Amino acid sequence: MPAPPRAAPKFLNLAQIRFPIGAIASIGHRISGVLLLISLPFLVLALERSLRSEADYAALGTWLNSPWRALLLVVMVWAATHHLLAGVRHMLMDIGIGSRLAQARMSAWSTIVAALLIALLAAMRWLS
Amino acid sequence: MRLSIYRYNPESDAAPRMQDYDIALGGHDKKLLDVLMRIRETDDSLSFRRSCREGVCGSDAMNINGRNGLACITAVSDLKEPVVLRPLPGFPVIRDLIVDMTQFFTHYNSIKPYLINDQIPPERERLQSPEQRERLNGLYECILCACCSAFCPSYWWNPSKFVGPAGLLQAYRFITDSRDTATRERLAYLDDVYRLYRCRTIMNCTEVCPKGLSPSHAIEQIRVALLRESS
Repeated sequence: MPAPPRAAPKFLNLAQIRFPIGAIASIGHRISGVLLLISLPFLVLALERSLRSEADYAALGTWLNSPWRALLLVVMVWAATHHLLAGVRHMLMDIGIGSRLAQARMSAWSTIVAALLIALLAAMRWLS
Repeated sequence: MRLSIYRYNPESDAAPRMQDYDIALGGHDKKLLDVLMRIRETDDSLSFRRSCREGVCGSDAMNINGRNGLACITAVSDLKEPVVLRPLPGFPVIRDLIVDMTQFFTHYNSIKPYLINDQIPPERERLQSPEQRERLNGLYECILCACCSAFCPSYWWNPSKFVGPAGLLQAYRFITDSRDTATRERLAYLDDVYRLYRCRTIMNCTEVCPKGLSPSHAIEQIRVALLRESS
């Protein structure tokens, strides 16, 4: 019996593709969205705990006062900022604002840098 | 010049592999295609498509150092060594740098890439004003090399459903043509969550178009036309 025909291979190794800045902003948008989705129940829980009483609020502050948990918060600040900025960029481009290549490159850079800067500020505040 | 080239022969290779080449360039080897032809002087098993060798036919599209482009208009002096050549991403590989473009052309055919006009033809020709003709600039120049569609993440993940940037650019070329009378049908066909709206405005297509066209702008214009149509 003849062997079944082999499926043709495809080259699609993302690590070997040189992505333009717009693609990096876009994948950041997705990653930050997933992070926000996963963290949302925990953030809502933390909010609910913090609103119970002054003591619970203080307890939450103490609990967060560890470098690893603070680092997690910094990542969440990056995710929220990047997702918000990339989302606004996306909506503006949908209505034709900043959708030319040069402008799109500039707004992609701005989104990435602004989100990292704000995350850095949060890190300086919480990790120092 | 040092190159690393994706090799795959379905008759002898179980899986694709990379092969290194060290090539002494001649004085006239100015473009990447010249280097590929030089390699073929010593290794005629290396397979790739090429025809016009001046960026008109779109045959020699490939992934060059991680970006899609045409070998014939890529200057050797602009390339970082080792030059890594792979087939167009996401397309089934037939052999070495030759990919199967059946799906790509199926999408192209689906948008009816020809003028549709149900009116009685005039005696000589269908005239356009300079402004109407101007609207076709930046659209008709597409050479269907597939650099754009093969660099589009939305097309990689939905190759059978998303028309892709090349097909959509061609679609808009006829949607905006003042002589075409099938605008409504064309828009109705594209008004689909996958065919058109799978585009996420990443703009990889515009980044790599070797003709400097902007499929993302054409897609934006189709969306605007659909919005106007529905209001």
